[in-house]
Amino acid sequence: MDTLDTIPKWLQHTAQRYGTKHIAMRKKHLGIWRSFTWAESFQRVKHLALGLMSLGLERGDKVCIIGDNDPEYFWAQLAIQAAGGVAVGIFTDSAPNEIQYIVHHSDSVMVFAKDQEQCDKLLQIRSQIPAVRGVIYWEEKGLWNYQDPWLSSFAEVVALGRDLDQGEPTRFDQRLAQGRADDLAIFCYTSGTTGLPKGAMISHQNLINGTLLYNEVDRRRDTDEYLSFLPPAWITENVLGLSVHIINGMIVNFPEEPETVQENLREIAPCALLFSSRLWESLVSMVQARIADTSWLNRLLYRLFMPVGYRVADLRFGQGRVPLWWRFLYWLGDLAIFAPLRDKLGLIRVQSAYSAGAALSPDVVRFFRAIGVNIKNLFGSTEAIIHTLHVGSDIKFETVGVPPPGMQIRIAEDGEILVKGPTVFQGYYKNPEATAKALEDGWFHTGDAGYLREDGHLIYLDRVKDLLELATGDKFSPQYIEGRLKFSPYVKDAMAIGGHERAYVTAIINIDFANVGHWAEKQRLAYTTFVDLSQRPEVYDLIRQDVQQVNQTLPPPARVRRFVLLHKEFDPDEGDLTRTRKLRRGVLEERYRALVEAMYNGQSEVCVSAPVKYRDGRTGTIETAVRVCSLEE
Amino acid sequence: MTTTLDPTAPPLLRAADLHLHFGGLAALWGVSFDIYPGEILALIGPNGAGKTSALNCLNGFYRPQRGHIYFAKRDLTRLPTHQIPHLGIARTFQNIALYTGMTTLDNLMAARHIHMKQSMLTSALYFGPAHREEIAHRRVVEEIIDFLEMEHIRKVTVGALPYGLRKRVELGRALALEPKLLLLDEPMAGMNVEEKEDMARFILDIHERRGMTILLVEHDMGLVMDIAHRIMVMDFGVKIAEGTPDEIKNDPKVIQAYLGQESR
Repeated sequence: MDTLDTIPKWLQHTAQRYGTKHIAMRKKHLGIWRSFTWAESFQRVKHLALGLMSLGLERGDKVCIIGDNDPEYFWAQLAIQAAGGVAVGIFTDSAPNEIQYIVHHSDSVMVFAKDQEQCDKLLQIRSQIPAVRGVIYWEEKGLWNYQDPWLSSFAEVVALGRDLDQGEPTRFDQRLAQGRADDLAIFCYTSGTTGLPKGAMISHQNLINGTLLYNEVDRRRDTDEYLSFLPPAWITENVLGLSVHIINGMIVNFPEEPETVQENLREIAPCALLFSSRLWESLVSMVQARIADTSWLNRLLYRLFMPVGYRVADLRFGQGRVPLWWRFLYWLGDLAIFAPLRDKLGLIRVQSAYSAGAALSPDVVRFFRAIGVNIKNLFGSTEAIIHTLHVGSDIKFETVGVPPPGMQIRIAEDGEILVKGPTVFQGYYKNPEATAKALEDGWFHTGDAGYLREDGHLIYLDRVKDLLELATGDKFSPQYIEGRLKFSPYVKDAMAIGGHERAYVTAIINIDFANVGHWAEKQRLAYTTFVDLSQRPEVYDLIRQDVQQVNQTLPPPARVRRFVLLHKEFDPDEGDLTRTRKLRRGVLEERYRALVEAMYNGQSEVCVSAPVKYRDGRTGTIETAVRVCSLEE
Repeated sequence: MTTTLDPTAPPLLRAADLHLHFGGLAALWGVSFDIYPGEILALIGPNGAGKTSALNCLNGFYRPQRGHIYFAKRDLTRLPTHQIPHLGIARTFQNIALYTGMTTLDNLMAARHIHMKQSMLTSALYFGPAHREEIAHRRVVEEIIDFLEMEHIRKVTVGALPYGLRKRVELGRALALEPKLLLLDEPMAGMNVEEKEDMARFILDIHERRGMTILLVEHDMGLVMDIAHRIMVMDFGVKIAEGTPDEIKNDPKVIQAYLGQESR
């Protein structure tokens, strides 16, 4: 056996190691989890690869796959690679013209399509993809009466391969041995927000290195369970799912249907998973809604023990020591509420719960810590796979973690995060210009802005193009500041201000009337209206603490130096916000020009009279003095 | 579309001269029709034409005062309702009739009881043959769940399901009886376009894969024209036309029944 330098070689190696003794995959079918041993899984890949070869697949040929998470998807990808080809994943919800673009651009000669829905899309664009010799489907439902020779079933291709195997038993091994580390393994088409999608070329070495890097910091074992539910066309599933499965022998389970993922999660209770931050957030709201609907006993236990959970989580992440009494209470809470909740969410066995995407709010992080799930952030890209992640217990929710050993992070002059390491991709297919822009001396330009803290953690700010520049030439991210400010329960909305003619950052902040009002009542602070409450010195002190907390996460030039608490709420009815509550920056700067100027010319107070439009259509004006608060450097 | 239709085969079901009165009101007045094995026959007509009454006669819900119904050469006119499914006729209802407190799975399993041979006692003990029988029936039911794409609602109580999905569960329950003849009473009523298309696809798949003969009562003319092999039109308790979709489309009597008297 020569070196294990390609994914299919690893597959053969792992399959020989485990044979029929170990389960490789499970798929729920007709209500029952059915398992495939490593020997069965490998046999399927081998015959499928030989089938593709007898259909004329040559080394370097590209083949598209469009389908849900199924064993067949993994087998198809591995078979394409074993035959020396490149697998090109396409998202299942792609429209026919998007599929046409990717199939055509990648020069694919065959397409795997899961079912009738995907086959129909391909039949529709057939005349525009003349290079495609055939389509192979794996779910026959509804395709029984399609007589088109362009379509063939998975089983037919496997049968072709079996025949070839009998005729030439060494054919598979010969082709497998031709594989090289720098052969391309997959193309991942990036969902271009601007322009056409680009095909990132990922080599076998990239995938293997990505897995080995991940192994260094968070190794999955061959007894670990995993549920494959992230889109398989996405790089993340290719590494965390497929590659870890092949290299470490982790057991991969496939959901019955895309609609049953939540239910299947609970049944499998995977050891590692990754949700988008939005999904984590929606899980919290789901739990809270369900608790409101449950029996009085459950509600009582929830009300009783959640504060214990929060307290212990805060102690553990604050000082690191939890007194015995609190540990006992937490143990009771775990029996009563936390463990059942984790079970319901499919998190009972989870060791590594990752979040990717936008920053998680501290409330969500605290909720999951309280019930015993420690969410880690993972920051990566299609082009470089993993940039940074939280390792072990070094979890700081405001950062995206540290680079794993072997990856280097550098911040460019303009604040862009650059990444270098063995997982950096090979370029964009047939797009040398974009490749030259993205890759310089092995450094991948992420297009994301951020900075490294002294403790080695990376802070992610925003896309570079969304940064604003100050008169000093420093850059800052208004969205980052606004987002962090809004994490405070007392801040409803905020707008960070800067720009070429301004030397520092300021902010207009909207207090959350309900929460601040509640807080004021507890402080025995009398107030009459929103205007009155917002201008109270005590409220300014309260919000100043929040601003200072956000400032601590920012480099000095990007810190908020002055802010005002607005005497009224931003209101979509007045055009301050869009209907989806996005800031209309231009409108706001114009409307509150006096306030903005006051923050830059040192005034301590501004008299404002603002037009208000009431919901019944009447208009009026209010006059008040708004205070400007300065923060010490 | 492939069909297993054979014009020379004897009819699977023959309704001869059905008369059904409610007091002085004639719901059916001398209605005769045949259903041939392997066909999709649609029954259409304006409101109150007697479509559901005809269906109710076929599965013994109503008893016609005159006339006979033969199913596979057997006279079932006077058979009690609960024996009809045993002969191989299953139906769905216009106003869904499911066990709303039970899950989708249990509703479908309940329909399997007519195929169960074990006694109540052995089933309750759930041992040996009863155990094996339960597993075999569960498999049949799971195949239907797969077929109708209901995996995500397998363990959801039917009462909590939206209307379109309940209709699907009801169709699943009718399939669980493994009938030779499937009677569908307005399976697409009240559905949106997407749900209707799904249902039409399921009906075609059932016909194609399970070789079932289907009698379909439906209002949506477009869908009926697309999926039925033959159409029978009723008006005021009388059959006014019968034929292929093309023949029906151009039949002046049908046009008149639907659009009223042509103004001259």
